[in-house]
Amino acid sequence: MSFWSYVKDKFLLIVLQLVCMCILGLFLCLTGYLIANFWLIFIAWLVIFSIWLTVNWMERRRYFQKMERTLERLDQRYLLGELMPHSWHLEDKLYQKMIRKSNKAVIERIHQIEEEENDYKEYIESWVHEIKAPITSISLICENRRKQGNQEYKTIGLENQKIENYVDMALYYARLEAVYKDYMIQETSLEAVAYEVLAKNRYLLIEHQIQAEVDCPDKAYTDGKWISFLLNQMILNSVKYKSEHPLLKIYTRKTEKSVLLILEDNGIGIRKEELSRIFDKGFTGSNGRSHERATGMGLYICKKLSSKIGVDLRAESTWEKGTKMTIEFPISNYLSKM
Amino acid sequence: MGKYKMKIVIIEDEPVIRKELKILLEHALYEVILIEAFDHVADEILPKQADLILLDLNLPDISGFDICTQIREKSEIPIIFLTSRTSSMDELTGMLKGGDDYITKPYQAPLLLARIAAVLKRTSSSVSKELSILKVKGIELSLVQGCISSQDKKVELTKNELKILHYLFLHVGEIVPRLDLVEYLWDNQVFIDDNTLSVNIARIREKLKSIGIQDFIETKRGMGYRI
Repeated sequence: MSFWSYVKDKFLLIVLQLVCMCILGLFLCLTGYLIANFWLIFIAWLVIFSIWLTVNWMERRRYFQKMERTLERLDQRYLLGELMPHSWHLEDKLYQKMIRKSNKAVIERIHQIEEEENDYKEYIESWVHEIKAPITSISLICENRRKQGNQEYKTIGLENQKIENYVDMALYYARLEAVYKDYMIQETSLEAVAYEVLAKNRYLLIEHQIQAEVDCPDKAYTDGKWISFLLNQMILNSVKYKSEHPLLKIYTRKTEKSVLLILEDNGIGIRKEELSRIFDKGFTGSNGRSHERATGMGLYICKKLSSKIGVDLRAESTWEKGTKMTIEFPISNYLSKM
Repeated sequence: MGKYKMKIVIIEDEPVIRKELKILLEHALYEVILIEAFDHVADEILPKQADLILLDLNLPDISGFDICTQIREKSEIPIIFLTSRTSSMDELTGMLKGGDDYITKPYQAPLLLARIAAVLKRTSSSVSKELSILKVKGIELSLVQGCISSQDKKVELTKNELKILHYLFLHVGEIVPRLDLVEYLWDNQVFIDDNTLSVNIARIREKLKSIGIQDFIETKRGMGYRI
């Protein structure tokens, strides 16, 4: 609050004072008062008025500066109403009251939304657990009958697995915000994770005539469950965007500061101009539109998830040559010293 | 085979899953006991002398964890939890209550069978030793050394070739469909496609020829292989 803007705000008051001075001057003139004495009164009035203006400006400025500082320090700015500096001005008090009321409404609304969101997430989680029972039944039914040479069961089994994957995506999306609740770090064999994911998708991979090579001697400190979700999504992408004679290479590399888990395919690759956007929400790209339907959610969830569990997810690709996805597990000095 | 069949108890409230699990396990040559009422599970199971229990966590009125605790009071019989819950906390609780493994739904049948076999192997005292040398028509396949021999001649095999031959040796006289063979290989961490299988079979024939065996593996066009 600069002095100039304060003066502009008090413009009417200043005009009023000037008008009063003129009227007083006129009155004194008419009553035959000495002009010299009038100037004395006039100057004294002006000095008193300016002092009042200055003091008032300083007081107001301090008040608002204090409020601004509070606002800046506040974590949730909508809580300002509760922390406004005390003031004896009537206007301040009235504003404070109204802001408080308005804030209260905001807070209530936020709580309500938070509650609704939580309810929804909890419902999604329990729904996912419920839907898994029928998915399991279908998968067992298909498994028990596919050896009888019935092609339909094989197809149903494959479709069932797609459902399973979409359901998993929903579950992991719902859990994104609360990863810490379900994250158990232990020494994880990346080889076991790779084998598990390949085994899980083996009917799909065999159906698509895919070959895979696994060379993962390294271990990482992480939660295997989340990593297998990441790897699963990446492998499904490789299958979706495969070329002729598809080959998946899953291998680990160890550097000084990290362990890398790399999935390399020889699929159709990603265009250079699209590479930077593949992790964006809802991005499907030219591949996604020309191939199987893509939701643009898979890699978005992967990216968010990887940042939550403290690993780095990267993609490199050459158009029409293949794609290389890397999960990087940092090795903490602290852990390795223990 | 006349071998002793391992007994597995299934405690699962979903009737379809229960039925299909029974079929699956019976195909895998286990004897299966189904539990359909969950009031006195522990007392019901103990006299049955089972080798393994598959226990669902979400049962009506009672949690699988409680049943596990009840069983553990009296017996050390291996227990595998089956559940659709996937949180680490549940897994930890399962292990602390004395479970031997924890498998989440929806499970892949081969994976389930592998985990069951692993737990049984770990816990059973009478380990049934797998034959390390298989013999068909005077030709010996040594799984330990990774080679195949006829009379005095011997040739080494790669990992893939060994696994392919192993599966064929286990199904002597049967036509083994190519797809079955590929699926078996995938279950054993060899991830190859149909074409590579043909290449591998050609190499095996080449090697067999070098030790004087011809026409050992028959190709049934459009069906598969037979030895």
